[in-house]
Amino acid sequence: MTVLVVYALLVKATLTSFSGLASLPQIRQDFVETRRLMSDEQLTQAVLVGRASPGPVGAYVVSVGYFAAGWPGAIAGWLAMITPALLAIPLLTTIERWLHLPRMRSLVDAVIIAGSALLVPAGIQLGRDALVQLWRVL
Amino acid sequence: MTLEDNRGGLCAALCESRTSGNMSRVTPLGQLGWIVARDVNRTVGGGYAAMELLRRTFVARGWMTGATHGVIVAVSRLTPGTNVLAYCTAAGWRLRGWRGSAVALAAASIPSSIIIFLMSAALVRVAAYRAVQAGLAVGMLVACVLLFAAAWSLLEPYIKGRARIRVVAMLACALALYFVGLTPVRILLIAAVVGLFIRPMHEPSHEEGRPKTHTTAGTSR
Repeated sequence: MTVLVVYALLVKATLTSFSGLASLPQIRQDFVETRRLMSDEQLTQAVLVGRASPGPVGAYVVSVGYFAAGWPGAIAGWLAMITPALLAIPLLTTIERWLHLPRMRSLVDAVIIAGSALLVPAGIQLGRDALVQLWRVL
Repeated sequence: MTLEDNRGGLCAALCESRTSGNMSRVTPLGQLGWIVARDVNRTVGGGYAAMELLRRTFVARGWMTGATHGVIVAVSRLTPGTNVLAYCTAAGWRLRGWRGSAVALAAASIPSSIIIFLMSAALVRVAAYRAVQAGLAVGMLVACVLLFAAAWSLLEPYIKGRARIRVVAMLACALALYFVGLTPVRILLIAAVVGLFIRPMHEPSHEEGRPKTHTTAGTSR
């Protein structure tokens, strides 16, 4: 039962966020404050592990699932992580179907340009974090 | 009309089915899985660096144009959850239908999940080592460079197009909204709404204006 709860809570968090760590506030609310399935320290460790390992940053939900319910929880976390990605297929087919319309092309162009702009502050933040970490280590 | 003639953003995507002479090779599922697993699971610090690595590989192999990559990036940003997983799912779908999606999604998510599971079990001891921290910092710096490369590869067709001033204005507006404190998804939604009401950046030719066929060679849905 716990595993199902873990999956439901994690998928709720991933479905309502649009980037890796954006699901963190919802996860903290559900896992630490409301259900007490894990401690704040464990949540911090999960984020640390997610940040330290290669691959998507959002994969930290696997670690959250592990701390909440052991290895079955880790599987639930993996499932919760991949579930929203499946929505990309209907979204892509819909956009492609309407892409010949000038308005839809213009919409996608605008999203691409805005999305590119958002990469700049993300890159600056990542670079700053990296330099701070290097400075601390060296 | 060649792809080079169509560097202007989505025109190339629209024309892809007609220029699919180079794109018509069926993408082997095994290769797709290997490439996705390799490129997604060797970057630290976020999915955009991985997307840039995937773009380079897909374009170099003739599986995808840069414009199609741009459309899939836009879709992935509008999809809830982890962007790079949505990117892999959509790219897999575009290349090999549902089998491609399943393989790409599994390849992108399973190796990193196993690593995270093992690290969670062994935990913080590993992250506490200075050498590990230094290695991570270097990895993050590499990811940072890849992020800027990704932004440039997406913007280049627009910057070199004739709507350059409008593109720069849109970039400035998006950055301003970000620094005002709006969340990325809100900025993207605002961009989408604005995009609905502005003049397209590329006037479609007669050929480009027709609907894209969905029987792109190389897909088996």
